[in-house]
Amino acid sequence: MAKKLSFFIGISLVLSLCNAFNPDNPSGRRILVLLDDFAIKSSHSLFFNSLQSRGFDLDFKLADDPKNALQRYSQYLYDGLILFSPSVQRFGGSIDVAAILDFVDSGHDLILAADTSASDLIREIATECGVDYDESSMVIDHISYAVSETEGDHTLIAADDFIKSEVILGSKKIGAPVLFQGIGHSLNPANSLVLKVLSASPAAYSANPKSKLTQPPSLTGSAISLVSVVQARNNARVMISGSLSMFSNRQILSIKCPEGWKLNKKSGNEQFLTELSKWIFHERGHLKAVNVRHHKAGEGEEPGMYRINDDLEYSVEIFEWSGTSWVPYVANDVQVQFYMMSPYVLKTLSSDGKGLYSTAFKVPDVYGVFQFKVEYQRLGYTTLSLSKQIPVRPFRHNEYERFITAAFPYYGGSFSMSLIDYELRQ
Amino acid sequence: MARTTTKDAQALFQSLRSAYASTPTNLKIIDLYVMFAVFTALIQVAYMAIVGSFPFNSFLSGLLSCVGTAVLAVCLRIQVNKENKEFKDLPPERAFADFVLCNLVLHLVIMNFLG
Repeated sequence: MAKKLSFFIGISLVLSLCNAFNPDNPSGRRILVLLDDFAIKSSHSLFFNSLQSRGFDLDFKLADDPKNALQRYSQYLYDGLILFSPSVQRFGGSIDVAAILDFVDSGHDLILAADTSASDLIREIATECGVDYDESSMVIDHISYAVSETEGDHTLIAADDFIKSEVILGSKKIGAPVLFQGIGHSLNPANSLVLKVLSASPAAYSANPKSKLTQPPSLTGSAISLVSVVQARNNARVMISGSLSMFSNRQILSIKCPEGWKLNKKSGNEQFLTELSKWIFHERGHLKAVNVRHHKAGEGEEPGMYRINDDLEYSVEIFEWSGTSWVPYVANDVQVQFYMMSPYVLKTLSSDGKGLYSTAFKVPDVYGVFQFKVEYQRLGYTTLSLSKQIPVRPFRHNEYERFITAAFPYYGGSFSMSLIDYELRQ
Repeated sequence: MARTTTKDAQALFQSLRSAYASTPTNLKIIDLYVMFAVFTALIQVAYMAIVGSFPFNSFLSGLLSCVGTAVLAVCLRIQVNKENKEFKDLPPERAFADFVLCNLVLHLVIMNFLG
């Protein structure tokens, strides 16, 4: 009996370990959380519990713990990193800015929260990701602030200017504004990989609440981004927030009763953060394309070379990770190009509802080395960049029509020469 | 000056015409054949200039058949002409047989190259 029990325990342990190392599972399970002090662990417990209930293993460490390490023997120990340590001056152990950036460059995800006490280290990490924090001043909004009993300087603001994307923020609309108290940041408009998920209202500005303003603030209005995300070209996702208290239990549970509103409602922090963390950790919007196939119309196998004016069919299967399994991705705007220096053929693939996209077209009248290219970039989804090379040859000498219409005068000329010979013979 | 040159040209033309009238008939027929071949060649070149040289092999074989038969006809005329001292002993039938044989070889090649 005990033998059977230990056998089952052993098998389930081995199976659970196999799940952790499964390369087919894009939502990694192990997350390192770096904190300034362990009080954050309890004051932000609702957020952490929501992550743990989705199956993530959180590892809480102090930011300057000398035993911290992201990788050992060049194998990463964690699949994601949460930095809730705004005031850390120097990370402990083998972690530093370069190690964190390498972590993101290798495809892993990062959540970074700063504060008014943000150190230069945190600001540097944010700048490397494409986001510029404002110089130690808070975001103040005298119109959309949250009324509460303690703060009177309108730094706790209620923001509801979300990015319009169902992939990033979920299909359900976020019912209440998000409470925010912290610093704002700005994005470079030339950077196409950074997105503003939560922007401040047009009446907000970034200034020090304790001192009088001597000149107009440099960062105002909707240019202030409160929460941004970066999706890198290797599909790593980074979330950068200007407030650590946004994640706290107090603000998640707080009932907001702003002026002029009719009813009190719970702040939108919980829904916003849960949906956004789902997107960050690849539980939504992560695509993979498999089974790229092409063949001549009517045949089954892939030829090594096509001839000009052939009819061919191309198909690809695209799946989306749902958090637990791959489900078929359905869209009507995936296109394939038949490309040689410029696309000769551009066709929209038609979907069959189960993730199989296919189309048929005729090879153009040009020979050379072509590529089947699928370049799919949509807001919030991973980029699909598929390319398959195939040569196209011209006609062989016996593949032309037997009698070419354009050459009839030449046929006529040479026949007339030979016929006149017979005439001359008489 | 101009009037004398035109008068000279006209006089030249008239003398050519009268000289030509005295050539034997068979030579005139061969001359007509050469003109016809050259004319066909010119038509084919004009067609290629308009339409483009797509089946280039067909164009070449058509052109070459015209040029080839013109050359062979000129050879025949030289050998058959009685005023030519060089070919005095050559019977005209032999010349004509040579002409036909060479034409056969030429047209064999042309038909193959015509595509």
